[in-house]
Amino acid sequence: MNLYVPIVVLGALALLFAVGSVIMGSFTGPKRWNRARLEAYECGIEPTPQPVGGGRFPVKYYLTAMLFIVFDIEIIFLYPWAVAFDHMGLFGLVEMVLFIVTVLIAYAYVWRRGGLEWD
Amino acid sequence: MTAADLVIVLLGVVAVGAGVLVVATRQLVHAALWLVVSFGALAGSYLVLTAEFVAWVQVLIYVGAVVVLLLFGIMLTRAPIGRSEDLDSGNRIVALVVAVATAGVLVTTLVRGFRSAYVPIKDRVGSGSSHTLGGSLFQTWVLPFEALSVLLLAALIGAIVLSRTDIGGAGPEPEEEEPEPRRRPAAPRGTVARRLGTARRRATPDDEDTIVLSRVDEEI
Amino acid sequence: MTPVYMAAGDIPTPHIEYGRLAPVLIVLGAACVGVLVEALAPRAQRYGLQVLVSVVGLVAAFAWTIALGIGDQPHHVAAMGAVGVDGPTLFIQGTILVLALMSMLLIAERRHEDSPFTAQASTVPGSPEERESLVAGLVQTEIYPLVLFAVGGMLIFPAANDLLTMFVALEVMSLPLYLLCGLARRRRLLSQEAAVKYFLLGAFSSAFFLYGTAMLYGFAGSVRLSEIAAAISKQGGDEPLLLAGVALLSVGLLFKMGAAPFQAWKPDVYQGAPTALTALMASCTLVAAVGGVLRVFYVGLETLRWDWRPMMWAVAILTMLVGAIVAITQTDVKRMLAYSSIAHGGFLLTGVIATNKAGLSSTLFYLAAYGFTTVGAFAVITMVRDAGGEAGHLSRWAGLGKRQPLVAGTFAFFLLAFAGIPLTSGFTGKFAVFQAAMAGGAMPLVIVGVVSSAIAAFFYVRVIVLMFFSEPLADGPTVSFSPATATAVAVGAFVTLVLGVIPAPALHLAQSAANQLFVR
Repeated sequence: MNLYVPIVVLGALALLFAVGSVIMGSFTGPKRWNRARLEAYECGIEPTPQPVGGGRFPVKYYLTAMLFIVFDIEIIFLYPWAVAFDHMGLFGLVEMVLFIVTVLIAYAYVWRRGGLEWD
Repeated sequence: MTAADLVIVLLGVVAVGAGVLVVATRQLVHAALWLVVSFGALAGSYLVLTAEFVAWVQVLIYVGAVVVLLLFGIMLTRAPIGRSEDLDSGNRIVALVVAVATAGVLVTTLVRGFRSAYVPIKDRVGSGSSHTLGGSLFQTWVLPFEALSVLLLAALIGAIVLSRTDIGGAGPEPEEEEPEPRRRPAAPRGTVARRLGTARRRATPDDEDTIVLSRVDEEI
Repeated sequence: MTPVYMAAGDIPTPHIEYGRLAPVLIVLGAACVGVLVEALAPRAQRYGLQVLVSVVGLVAAFAWTIALGIGDQPHHVAAMGAVGVDGPTLFIQGTILVLALMSMLLIAERRHEDSPFTAQASTVPGSPEERESLVAGLVQTEIYPLVLFAVGGMLIFPAANDLLTMFVALEVMSLPLYLLCGLARRRRLLSQEAAVKYFLLGAFSSAFFLYGTAMLYGFAGSVRLSEIAAAISKQGGDEPLLLAGVALLSVGLLFKMGAAPFQAWKPDVYQGAPTALTALMASCTLVAAVGGVLRVFYVGLETLRWDWRPMMWAVAILTMLVGAIVAITQTDVKRMLAYSSIAHGGFLLTGVIATNKAGLSSTLFYLAAYGFTTVGAFAVITMVRDAGGEAGHLSRWAGLGKRQPLVAGTFAFFLLAFAGIPLTSGFTGKFAVFQAAMAGGAMPLVIVGVVSSAIAAFFYVRVIVLMFFSEPLADGPTVSFSPATATAVAVGAFVTLVLGVIPAPALHLAQSAANQLFVR
C-alpha cells in the first residue's frame, strides 16, 4: 500500500488548499453585494434570460458532451499503451494509430459539416 | 480483519447508500450527483483490490464523462430542476420487491461461488496496473480493441445525425437557410419548392406527415 | 510486497490472420469510407457514392467469403483466438452478406419517395424545419455507413470465440440499429418511440449479457468459449456461478433473437422502423443472433447441455406458441410479420436444442431460407402504398389480388413459405429442423412445433383469403413498381421456390458447412 502514499498525500494537500482558500477568501475578501455580484457567472457577459418554464438548452451542448466522452474513452486507452509502449514492437504503434485514425474519421465528418462552429 | 477489509466494507456501504439515494431522491440533478458518489466509492473498491487501472477508468469515464452526459441530458430534455413530486412511481413497492429479489439472488450466487476462493491482496499488487493491462490489451485482445474504435465512430456519427439540424445544411455548399425568414415562411419556401420541383400532392388528411406535405402545397 | 510486473521487452507481436478476417475488415472499411464520403463529397454526389461504396463493400466481402469457403485451408481460430472462422461461420457470414445486399436494394430505393428514411433526423416531427427539409428534398445519407457498421458487427458476432469480442460485436451491431429504427420517413413519432424502446430494452439485455460474462469469467477464469467448456468438463456443472452465468448470458442472447419471454420489443420495433430497415433486422440480425446462440451453446456450453436443455425447451415452446397465437389478433402487416418472426425464432431454437450435426446444418439451412423469404415479404410491403405511405393496415390489403394479381400472388407465396407449405423453402427448413430435433430426442418439441405451425398457417391463409376473395376497396392502395425493389422481391421469391423444389444442393452446402462443427 506504500505505493499509494504519495498520491494520498497529494490529494490531501489539494483538498487542504481548496478548502483553505475558500475559507481564507470569506474572511479576508471585501463584501459588496450588488446585482452583478449575484449573477450566476461573474464573467462580464449578461446571461441570456431563460424562457418561462425552464426552456431547453441548445442541442449543440449535447454534441460537445458526446465528443468529450468519445475522446475521453480514447484517451483512457492511451494510458496502458504509453506504459507498455517500450515493450511492444512496431505493432503497438500501428494498433494505436489505427484506433485513433478510426475515431478521427468521425472528427473529420463533424468538422467538415460545420458541427464545430458555434454560430 | 485487516485494514484493507475495513476500507472495502466502508466503501461498499458508501456505494450502496449512494445508490439507494440515487433512486430515492426527489431531485433529478441530485440523483446524478449521488451517482458520482456511488461511482467514486466503487472506484475506491477497485483500488483496494489492486485494480488500479480499472479504478482510474471508473473515475475518468463514469464519474467524469457519463455523469456529465447525464447532466447534459437533464438540461436538454427540459427536465425540472429542483424538487419534483412526480419522480415517485406508483410501482415503487413492486420495484422494491424486484430489486431486493434480484440483489438477493446475485449476492447469494456470488457468495456461494466465491466462498472458497481467497486471494491475499498483497500477492496481487501490480497485477491490475496499466502495464499488465496494456500487455494483454494490445497483444491478446487486439481485435475487440480495434472493433471498439469502430463502435465509437458509429456512436459519434449517430449522435450527430440525431442532434444537429444545421449540420446537413452546412458543409461544402453555402448554407441557404437563415433564421429570420421562418417568421414569414410562405414566399421564400414556395420559390425554393418550385425551383427544386420536389413538392408533391397528398390528399389523405389523417396522416400527420401528409398534413405537413399538404400544407406545403397550399403555400405554393 | 513483491509487485507482479511483466518482464521487460516481451510483448510479442500478435498474430492476425488478415485473410480470414477480410470480409469483416472490408465491410467496416467500406463504412469508414462512407463516413469520409459524408465528410468530403458535395451533397449532390453523396447518394450515388454511398450506394456505390456500400454495394461494392458488401459484394467484395461476399466474394471473399466464398473464396474462403471454397479454399481447403483447415479452419482454426484467428486473431489471437478472438474469432473462429470455420464452416458454419462462413455459411452464416455469407448469408448475412447476401441478405444485407438485398436489404440494401430497399434502403437505397428512391422511386417511391426521396428515401425510405427521414429527410433530416434531427428535425422535430411536424415542425416547420421538417417541412423545409422535405421540400428541399434532403436525404440523410449517413444511413449507409451506419448500416455497414451494423452489418460489420453482425459478421463478427457469430464468429466471436470469446465473450468479450462477442459483446463488442453485439454493441457494434446494435447501436446503429437502435438509431436507424428511429429514422422512418412517415409516422415519425411511432418510429422514434420504437427506437427508444429498442434502445432501452437492448441496453438492459446488454447488461444481462455482461453480468453473465462476468460470472462465467468468475467460474472459468477466462472468457474464451473453449476454456469455459474445458472448465465445465473439469469442475462439473453444478456450480451456482456457472448456472447463474449461463442463465444471464442466455437472456442477453435470446433477447437479440427475440425469443419469448424476451420478445416484447419485436412487434413495436418492426412496426415503427422504416420497412427497409425492418427487412434488414428481420433477416440479417436474426441470422447473426442465432449464429451467436449456436456458437455459445455448441462450443462453450456443449458439455453442459443436460442443464440448459430444459430451460431452452421451455423458451422454444413458449416462443413458438406466443408467436403463432398472438399473431392471429394483429391487424398491421408489419406487426403480423414480427410475430411470425418470433415464431420462426422458436423453430430455429428447436434446431439449436438438437445439439448434433444435423441440428446445426438444419438451423443453418433454415436461417438462409427464412432470411430470403422475409426480405422478399418486406420488399412487397414497401411496394403497396397509400397516399400516406405504405399501406400498413391489413384491411387496406383487401382485394389486392384482384387488382394486382402478380404482387399479391408473390406475397401469398411468401406467406405460404412462412407457413411451411410444401414446395416452398419454409417446408424444407421446418422438415429439416424437426427431423434433427427428433433425432436429438426432442419429440414433444416437434409436436408443439407442428401444432404452432398449424396455428400460424391460419393467419397466413387469412391474409391470402383477404387479398384474393374480398372486394377491392374503392380507394385501395396502389402498387409502386421500381426496378430495385422488384429485384429484391424476385430474388426472394426465386430462392424461396428453388429451396423448396430442389433443396438438395443448399442442404448439402449447409451439411458440408456444419460437417466440421465449430472450431474452438
